[in-house]
Amino acid sequence: MSVERIDIGDEIPPLEVVLSGDDVRRYAIAANMPGQRFHSDEVARKEGLPGQILPGNMSMALLSRMLNEWLPQARLEKLGVTFRGIVRPAAPIVCSGFVTDRRPHGEWVEIDCDLILEQAGERRITGVAVLRLDPPAATAPRG
Amino acid sequence: MSEALPLGIDAALLGVEFDSSVSPPVTAQEIHEYAASLGESHPVYFAPEPVAPPTFCMKFRGNRFSPPALPRRAFARSFDAGKDIQFGAPIRAGDVIHTSNVLHEVYEKTGRSGAMVFIVSRLRMKNQRGEMVAVIDSRFLIRGEAAT
Amino acid sequence: MILDLHVHSKKSEDSRATVVGYLQWLLKKKGVLPIDGLVLTEHRQFDADSDYRRLEDEYGIRIFKGSEVETDYGHVLVYGVNQPMLERFDFSNVRLPAQELITDVEEFGGIAVPCHPGRPTVGLCEHYQTKPPLEGVRAVELLNGGSRKGENERVEELLRRHGYGAIGGSDSHLVSFIGICATEFPREVSDEEDLVRALREGGYRAVDFRDRLKGP
Repeated sequence: MSVERIDIGDEIPPLEVVLSGDDVRRYAIAANMPGQRFHSDEVARKEGLPGQILPGNMSMALLSRMLNEWLPQARLEKLGVTFRGIVRPAAPIVCSGFVTDRRPHGEWVEIDCDLILEQAGERRITGVAVLRLDPPAATAPRG
Repeated sequence: MSEALPLGIDAALLGVEFDSSVSPPVTAQEIHEYAASLGESHPVYFAPEPVAPPTFCMKFRGNRFSPPALPRRAFARSFDAGKDIQFGAPIRAGDVIHTSNVLHEVYEKTGRSGAMVFIVSRLRMKNQRGEMVAVIDSRFLIRGEAAT
Repeated sequence: MILDLHVHSKKSEDSRATVVGYLQWLLKKKGVLPIDGLVLTEHRQFDADSDYRRLEDEYGIRIFKGSEVETDYGHVLVYGVNQPMLERFDFSNVRLPAQELITDVEEFGGIAVPCHPGRPTVGLCEHYQTKPPLEGVRAVELLNGGSRKGENERVEELLRRHGYGAIGGSDSHLVSFIGICATEFPREVSDEEDLVRALREGGYRAVDFRDRLKGP
């Protein structure tokens, strides 16, 4: 994706995933999230939930992955989300977004995006991101 | 005792560090596993000396997410309501992460589930070179009777 | 004239949208979102200070200011906010008395419109099941862009029973949600006071543009 062609209103290529309970457990361990609602259906139900849920952090990380796959050369400067509902394994998760601003700063450009994570046709997470794009020669290892 | 915020929280607690921590050095394996668990594919995450995906910073949360003086009953019914992260220097293998946590904001509102109090903590993260790694504002929602 | 009567900018604690962002988006989507103006209804406050006249001129989109307050009958949009209202009511109070608000706002030259009435806890429908109906309500928000399935549908019955007027607003907290629901007026609206007059006159209708957009 050429930086010059990115414009307000552009749709970010969506990321669609279906995660297993094991996928969520693997993330929870890798991300140091010991809360048992992220590991076990049984414990989650005891807490009044319908079953095992994704950590909010994992949903954020999936939105970050979507941005990364769209613009691998970009650097994520800001990510802000509101958790509106729970996200569960074993059902499709759709991450999507739109470009809402594009600010040139001399050689580099900042891109604002709206972000949406949906499951079962409901918006479970909404948020925004700011990405920085440097000219190709100056692109440092990203993070 | 200064001005009271919702839940009777003392306003003097705002902005005062209530927790700090220092991590062990980050390993390449930790970064590889974190990236793999998300289905990430960018090669820099899987290099022998990897750079971590940006959200890897959320792994470092310190020892506690709220001041010890906050009413315990409130957190029995708390939920993660959202986060705002400002990213700084990328985390690399070998980095040591220092965290410092303050109570940033407390406010109340009403929503679909009734009365709610929001408690916002601000976690500042630096590496061993003193570079800002991330600033994370985490909002915890306390609802139901605990919030009234 | 089509106005989005329910919009939140970053001045509301749970919104991440800038006013400029909204205007740029509306300009870009002009073909599918024929929005002529918006009303910033920040949560539990009235933004008396911001001056958007330059932006209005630059983008050709009207920007009015109101407020969304919280009451014992749920959330209420207040249009035509003025100093007497701000002295009479503490807009930051999440338990404002709805009946006093409706009556006094009207007396001070404004209009108070209950929003997202079909929403649990903070919507009028649920309160009407256990409390007497409010006197002096002229209109409610029939279409709210942030409503979940079934919440807007519950409002139809409320309108039939009480004969309220119906407005629409996006309740946007993100740039890309602006203008998805709005209110079409039969005439031009020139400023906040004129908006109150237009809402009192009637003849407006709630309009839904969600089907025109691929996204939200």
